[in-house]
Amino acid sequence: MDRNRTHRNRRRVLAWMHFFGLFIVMAIICIPGLWIVLNSFRPTVEIMAKPPVWVPSFTLDHYRAMFGGAGEGGVPVFHYFRNSLVVSVTSTVIAILIGMSGGYAFARYKFRFKGGIFVGLMLFRAVPGVALSLPLFIVFARVGIIDTHFGLILVYVAMNVPFTVWLTDGFFRQIPGELHEAAEIDGCTRWQAFWKVEFPVARSGVASAAIFAFLTSWNEFALASQLTRSTGSKTMPVGLLDFTAEFTINWGGMCALAVLMILPALILTFIVQKHLIAGLTFGGVKG
Amino acid sequence: MRRRLPEWFVLLLPAFIVIAAVVLIPLIFSLYSSFTPYKLTRPSTLWRWVGTYNYQKILTDANFWAAFGRTVLFLTIVLNVELLLGLGIALMVNRVTWGQRTLRTILMFPMMFSPILVGFQFKFIFNDNVGLVNNVLQSLGITDMALPWLVDGRLAMFSIVFAEVWMSTSVFAILILAGLFAMPRDPLEAAEVDGCTPWQTFRHITLPFLMPFIYIAMTIRSLDVARAYDIVQIMTGGGPARRTELLWTLMSRTGYVDARMGLANAMGYVSIILSILFTIYFFRKLSAARAEIGLEG
Amino acid sequence: MTEVSLRNVIKRYGTQQAVHGIDLEIENGEFVVLVGPSGCGKSTTLRMIAGLEAISDGEVSIGGRVVNDLPPRERNISMVFQNYALYPHMTVRENLGFSLTIAKRPEDEIVRAVDEAAGILGLDELMDRKPAALSGGQRQRVAMGRAIVRHPDVFLFDEPLSNLDAKLRSQMRVEIKKLHQKVDSTIIYVTHDQVEAMTLADRIVLMRDGRIEQVGTPLQLFEQPVNIFVAGFIGSPPMNQLAGTVEGDAISLGEVYVPIPSSVRGQLSNGQKVIFGFRADNLTPVGHGLREKGETTQLDLRVHLTEPLGTETLLFATLAGAEIQGKMLNPRPVAPGEDLTFNLMLDRCHVFDAATGNAIGRT
Ligand SMILES: Nc1ncnc2c1ncn2[C@@H]1O[C@H](COP(=O)(O)OP(=O)(O)O)[C@@H](O)[C@H]1O
Ligand SMILES: [Mg+2]
Repeated sequence: MDRNRTHRNRRRVLAWMHFFGLFIVMAIICIPGLWIVLNSFRPTVEIMAKPPVWVPSFTLDHYRAMFGGAGEGGVPVFHYFRNSLVVSVTSTVIAILIGMSGGYAFARYKFRFKGGIFVGLMLFRAVPGVALSLPLFIVFARVGIIDTHFGLILVYVAMNVPFTVWLTDGFFRQIPGELHEAAEIDGCTRWQAFWKVEFPVARSGVASAAIFAFLTSWNEFALASQLTRSTGSKTMPVGLLDFTAEFTINWGGMCALAVLMILPALILTFIVQKHLIAGLTFGGVKG
Repeated sequence: MRRRLPEWFVLLLPAFIVIAAVVLIPLIFSLYSSFTPYKLTRPSTLWRWVGTYNYQKILTDANFWAAFGRTVLFLTIVLNVELLLGLGIALMVNRVTWGQRTLRTILMFPMMFSPILVGFQFKFIFNDNVGLVNNVLQSLGITDMALPWLVDGRLAMFSIVFAEVWMSTSVFAILILAGLFAMPRDPLEAAEVDGCTPWQTFRHITLPFLMPFIYIAMTIRSLDVARAYDIVQIMTGGGPARRTELLWTLMSRTGYVDARMGLANAMGYVSIILSILFTIYFFRKLSAARAEIGLEG
Repeated sequence: MTEVSLRNVIKRYGTQQAVHGIDLEIENGEFVVLVGPSGCGKSTTLRMIAGLEAISDGEVSIGGRVVNDLPPRERNISMVFQNYALYPHMTVRENLGFSLTIAKRPEDEIVRAVDEAAGILGLDELMDRKPAALSGGQRQRVAMGRAIVRHPDVFLFDEPLSNLDAKLRSQMRVEIKKLHQKVDSTIIYVTHDQVEAMTLADRIVLMRDGRIEQVGTPLQLFEQPVNIFVAGFIGSPPMNQLAGTVEGDAISLGEVYVPIPSSVRGQLSNGQKVIFGFRADNLTPVGHGLREKGETTQLDLRVHLTEPLGTETLLFATLAGAEIQGKMLNPRPVAPGEDLTFNLMLDRCHVFDAATGNAIGRT
């Protein structure tokens, strides 16, 4: 009886610790983001107030300034948003097409040095953006594609292809080879068999690869900050710097832009979050 | 009749081309320029061959070695902390029976943040004057003076590690959680019946099963450890007085501020090799761990 | 002394109740089989005994000690799972020795215990393989070996044979029975297969929908089922069951009348709706039965299908609109459509109340 009670009590204590631990973790994860959102709605005086003001007041000034364009410093947010969108979406689509074809090759064909080529491909992804940005800057300047959408898209495609290959390879490997053979016997060409049978089955992997590619491009800074110069090609992460001056930072305005940056990523991730985990683990574990 | 290229090669060709154009050629160029005294401001210097002069120079540069050591230390600390926290969080979330989906969604939250945004966010939060942390500490009366989070060398390093851990622990947590979901229940119960305490069950059954997932997370993370550059660049810029200088900030300063491209590219190569070593290491661990739990093939 | 007793054990999942108050006393060294259709709560009951499920209400004790809140490791039990639950990253040897290693037993004792278990189950050749490299039957043996090694007070089996093919299954049945004779621990064995239950059990516990229907030896359940459900579940082929009405001293099954068996005479009222049940063994063509004398009645039936099994042939016929089965011993060829006269052994027949389903004349 006594041991029964000991175990009951221990379980109760553990349950409380569990709840408490989770609460702390979730708070630490959420508070910084919420702080940003909150401050995007507070007037600058209040943000800078000393001693701090704990009861927030509400204002849309920062958003008005941001979308008004002309406001403080006149940060051309619309242009940045459009640049980010164009660059991210285009590079994601292209990277998925190229990466999927590569992943399919690894999953379905046997060839010499396959393992070596695969690891080699992955290693290109490991090259740090900063290290790449120096020579890339010079080469792009020579070729004349610096400060263009095209240049940035090209870079992001190259950055995202290896990872896409990794994920889609894992997924195509899950699909038994008989599937496309059956489709071909049913009268499909190899091409039709791929699109009608294998692609739909691997959709989950492709979706997760796409979201990762999109997030990478959408959030990239090290390369974009060197390869873009003007309003016509700067992306939002680079645009954040517009809110900094020599010694001061316009926190409110920056928070507003940050919210604008996170929202699309947030929405997109919610839509495909189910695939996200599936993609990573299938692609990785059973690869 | 024309000989046709093998299909696999045709399928891989676009990937090869893009990567060659964007990564390989610049890398070859930078390898070459790391043997020249190239300065952006004087293009002609690109044609002067100085051999391994740049490499000798960085190898004898105390600042470089300090940054190098700090980077390795930083990565070791950050990856281990992220792993431990991620593991803990995953185990806690896995035990939740109610509202688990919501928790998982919240976990993914930091993954959507741009590293540079994380940098600004924590620069704001750790700001000694208007930052959330100091405001809270002072309002609660825990300290009456403003702690110099980003100005004091040691505190600045802590703040940067905190930001990095905040951003990347999710990767571990999510992947390990996926591993826990994929884990067969039976062996866990068998272990319980076999007399294991919860800790022994974790140690002997759960952990070996999770190893491949941990290595996937490690591999994914080691692919972009250099994202920390964005954070450090924004939060401290390598300061104060180089106390948070990492390989990447040092390189970017040498290249863009001092315009000494040749030297910077030599450093770049060291950082590339570092990243590649990390990646290869975890990639091999991943294969070994997969074989261990019989998931190979 | 390791008797196991369950007192009004209840399992609730949320608002839904899966086990509705089980009472059961299991003696030391007894082989008890929990049997019943899938989803009736057998596994849940077993897992509550193991400590893998929390007990919502009631009391479980092992060896006279209440174990309700004890974790499995403090119950000194071992369990064989349906899917074997081998540790995939350990070799067979490590799998077998794991529980002893955990208990920090001395090395030589572990080696001895593992070798002994391996010997009993014929695993010597496989000791250094991992589970992935074993066949289904071999995995099953390893799972059993792992249970033996600990010398537990109670063995728990949860459908250990259901993933094996028919031949291996009957082989393993014999091995489990041998094992019980060797270790003479208490065994609680869960299965949905009544053949396993009949062949293995000292005592069968037949469950349905989270309740116990009947507890008894295999023969008791076979010969004296307390209700239609037990009668239909135990025995193969299942007992023939025909709806009927009591009319005087006969039971009317539509156009056919059979006399009321003497065992229930006087316990039926005129016009009572009943279910009349008999096993195929007790409906045999004249000249092809075990006995022709005693309390019998004769029926003329047209056979429309036969299933020859070698020593006997199953005969399918229609009686009062329902399909029934009879059995022919010392069989001769029977052509479909042939008319035969059958002996029905009335003293082996069962009468159930149609409204409650309970057997009449047996208490
Ligand atoms: N975790 C659970 N949550 C809710 N209901 C459950 C759970 N586990 C089992 N049940 C229900 O309990 C009943 C008994 O299940 P079980 O004991 O597994 O049956 P079986 O006799 O086939 O082993 C089933 O109706 C099942 O749906
Ligand atoms: Mg079951």
